Amino acid sequence: MRSDEVILMKIVILGFGAVGQGVARVISLKREHLLDKYGLQLDIVAVADRSGGAVFDQGLDPELLLKTKNETGKLSQYPDFGVEGFSGLEILDKVEYDCLVEVTPTNIEDGEPALSHMLKALKDGKDVVTSNKGPLALSFTQLSEAAQETGANFKYEASVGGAMPIINLAHDTLAGSDIESVYGILNGTTNYILSRMAKEGSSYEQTLNEARELGIAETDPTQDVDGWDAACKIVILANSVLNLERTLKDVKVEGISQITPEAMALAKKEGYLIKLIGEASQDVLEVSPRLVKEGSPFAVEGTLNVATLKTDLAEDVTVVGKGAGSIETASAILSDLLNIWKAS
Amino acid sequence: MRLNLVLELLDVPGQLLDVLKPMGRLGANIVAVIHQRDVKTDEGRVPVQITIEGDEETLNRVIDDLEESGIQVMEVDGVLRREKITTILVGNIVDQDLKDTVNLLNQLPGVRVADLDLKMSDQPERSATKIVMEAREGLKLDLLNKINEIGALKGFLVINEI
Repeated sequence: MRSDEVILMKIVILGFGAVGQGVARVISLKREHLLDKYGLQLDIVAVADRSGGAVFDQGLDPELLLKTKNETGKLSQYPDFGVEGFSGLEILDKVEYDCLVEVTPTNIEDGEPALSHMLKALKDGKDVVTSNKGPLALSFTQLSEAAQETGANFKYEASVGGAMPIINLAHDTLAGSDIESVYGILNGTTNYILSRMAKEGSSYEQTLNEARELGIAETDPTQDVDGWDAACKIVILANSVLNLERTLKDVKVEGISQITPEAMALAKKEGYLIKLIGEASQDVLEVSPRLVKEGSPFAVEGTLNVATLKTDLAEDVTVVGKGAGSIETASAILSDLLNIWKAS
Repeated sequence: MRLNLVLELLDVPGQLLDVLKPMGRLGANIVAVIHQRDVKTDEGRVPVQITIEGDEETLNRVIDDLEESGIQVMEVDGVLRREKITTILVGNIVDQDLKDTVNLLNQLPGVRVADLDLKMSDQPERSATKIVMEAREGLKLDLLNKINEIGALKGFLVINEI
């Protein structure tokens, strides 16, 4: 049944890499479904990448955006509405919109340009949905205070665990329970490497190279293998789920590059696997290789993510899901957009 | 009152008798003993379940006496008395004096290294050791801190349980 009244949400997407393109695809795929079920129409009124952007207040065509990006690599080539050298901040200044989807490449040094984008949008009273870990891990308090001041929605489910629901699960579904701690496998690349090492008995260097060839590890895998990606995510969980004011520099981080086949073999002999675990509680904030029992929910293979929330009423709640991927991550962004719509 | 105990005994002749005799001497009645020699723990010890009866004071005395004489009391009425803690260290295990590492752990009151496994690598600094420790209930956090301290001191990567 189609609702009588169609509500329009005007969206600006900043960043058009894997996640940004996933968002466009998901909006295109779910157009009819959203209209039928919620009477909601998501119009992409502006998109920007490094080249510039495309702006059209009546809504850009998601499929044409994807086609333009794939064929030319530049959104500024979008027919009729492409603009060269249009910066994100300029777009936010000039375009009329309801919600910013901030998915520019993450920066864990100073969080820019995403941090400025989000602060501007929130200060202007616009809702923000993001998958961008860097600015959240560095300036969580600043961002949430900016949202509080104007009453804008600030949602970031996609920043931790991709499609794996964790933040909204803690805030909404587990409302009323006190969450004492959270820990999980929050990085798919390292989980892939450690799973392969456990299975094949191969060395860390060999397995990393294999992961690179398969495109699972990036050419420069430092942020993943040294634990910084997982560290960003555990900081976000510490802030959002445990209400602790923490930033990236508070995390004790140990990566996986020192894990040897010998250590793996000893662990397996005792019925354990070695996994890179992020843990946050009142007293602990760390990312480190840990022993998990074979056959436990944490014995997941491949690039899967898993996380456990320890609560007072519901005891342990554990979720597993795809931690990365264009469409998977976009699914979390879509759910944030819908939650904003539901709350309005 | 009755008390169910789970003990872990070394698999050598006379162990069970050494445990049971003092119980009678202290005035506790032995209600049941379940002892299967072919079921063993990872460390090769034999778990024994014993139910004893007596007044509270007597039963407490029995437990104290068992622990004083070095018997591993694992559970009392379903409550764990001892926790097993497994850790793996990666680094130059042997050069960094393995005996000293074990001693540092054993020095903690209520902690005992129960098992140790070593795997050498072609490159000595990439060797690994697995250490299984038993700690009295409530000591786990102290022990984990101590392990991390030793790791930092000796340049080991410490891989603790979740």
